[in-house]
Amino acid sequence: MTEPRFFSREWAGAVREALVAGPSEPVRAGKLQEYWDFFEMIKGMYPASWALGCPDLPAELGGRPAYLVVRWGGGTVTDCQIVGPDDPLEATYVLGMAYADWRALHDGYDAQRTVMYRKILLEDGSLLEFFKTIYFFVECLAVIGAVPASYPELARAT
Amino acid sequence: MTDRKSPTAVLREGPRALSDEQVREIEESDLKSVLDVDIDDVIEYVHKDLKSLPDFTTLYRKYLKQRWDVYELDFTQDKIDWTEKMSAEERESFIAVSSGFHHGERQVEIELPVFMIGATEEEKLHIAAQIEDEARHTVFFDRFYREVVGLSGDDIMGVLDASFPWVSETFVGPFGLLAYQADEVRRNPYDERARVRYGTNYFLWIEGVLALSVMKVTLSYARWRGFLPAYYTGFTATCRDESRHVQGGMRYLQDAVRKDPTMINEIHDTLRTILSLAGVASRRIYFEPLGWTEEEVTVLFFQQLRRKLNDVGIGLAPDIEEMLQFVQPQLAGG
Repeated sequence: MTEPRFFSREWAGAVREALVAGPSEPVRAGKLQEYWDFFEMIKGMYPASWALGCPDLPAELGGRPAYLVVRWGGGTVTDCQIVGPDDPLEATYVLGMAYADWRALHDGYDAQRTVMYRKILLEDGSLLEFFKTIYFFVECLAVIGAVPASYPELARAT
Repeated sequence: MTDRKSPTAVLREGPRALSDEQVREIEESDLKSVLDVDIDDVIEYVHKDLKSLPDFTTLYRKYLKQRWDVYELDFTQDKIDWTEKMSAEERESFIAVSSGFHHGERQVEIELPVFMIGATEEEKLHIAAQIEDEARHTVFFDRFYREVVGLSGDDIMGVLDASFPWVSETFVGPFGLLAYQADEVRRNPYDERARVRYGTNYFLWIEGVLALSVMKVTLSYARWRGFLPAYYTGFTATCRDESRHVQGGMRYLQDAVRKDPTMINEIHDTLRTILSLAGVASRRIYFEPLGWTEEEVTVLFFQQLRRKLNDVGIGLAPDIEEMLQFVQPQLAGG
């Protein structure tokens, strides 16, 4: 089966399924149950949405900035789609991350360090509110990164 | 290291006044003599000036007298203690605690420069000194992990990568928030409300509460057992540096609230975010090999928090008081 292309409609669909399923059993096994209880509690009541942007998609993926918009409600993902630069962008929190860092996340770079080292940055939204649920966000970011996808090479300047 | 009281003795002692001789010993010891300074006295010393906070020029002058050369430390005995005297359980508990500091020192080093932009000229001197302190602390842990623990790496980041598996998932709470707050300050360096929120997390929470509580755990263990003399010396000197950082940070927050009493709302909102995360642990750390229980670490943690707030005169809203009952110690600092 061919892997969906990063930031494609098919990939957004796969991300939705992965987020609804949540972190895998091996991931869960490495952390305390109370941590996952907190994760599930947040997931069950999370009312917000994320627009996770990539400002420098390669030409093969459109070559223009785009966002993965994830909406949460009722303990599940209610919407998960790609929004282009010409579409209206509405989300509680807008974040951005360079293509190389998206690809590094997919290749296994740690999601916690992705936040801590400011590879993904909050561009719009209340910072203090966003961080009240940061463990939930980081675990979901790791889930998104692990979704199988093809990541084309960035064209190199000659 | 002559006096070897138990690591947790300080929990029963409570706040105490330091004699002039003890203060002089802490303030004037050169690096070699720091080995003889009691870590409990240094932590007590942090609080000595909180009620009448020194100005930033005074703190800068103290820095000039107290800075130390991280390359003067000799970790030869520490390596012997680590490999031949400490048990596997002691090493595992120790590294579970110290790895938070290894990464925390790096974080507080790199996130501080943006805070300098909107500071007064006198405060800039103090912040510049603090950045140098934090860089030195980063090198201290890099050396400890290479020369004692035995981790390898091509550069500082390589060793950080090697110790990262010991860092708890909840580290991203205060330190990720600090990274994003630094970015907020970078975008608006003169936004005083953003600076107060940043200062609450950095100076009050990370340095004043997390760092000072958890520093005590490994340092009192080393002193009690008579192990790791270079670690004890360097990290106790680090604690003395932190006293200036905490005093400067508390001075900044106190001044900000005095100038504009509504700034207390920024402090409270930041604490609400921090405390909403602080009740969750992702890993169980066994403190017993280091002479502590989790309950005792929690008591120490509360002592540090209460003393800072009381000494600086920061009152808490009832809902924050309620949140404090669910706080767990985050094993990290900077």
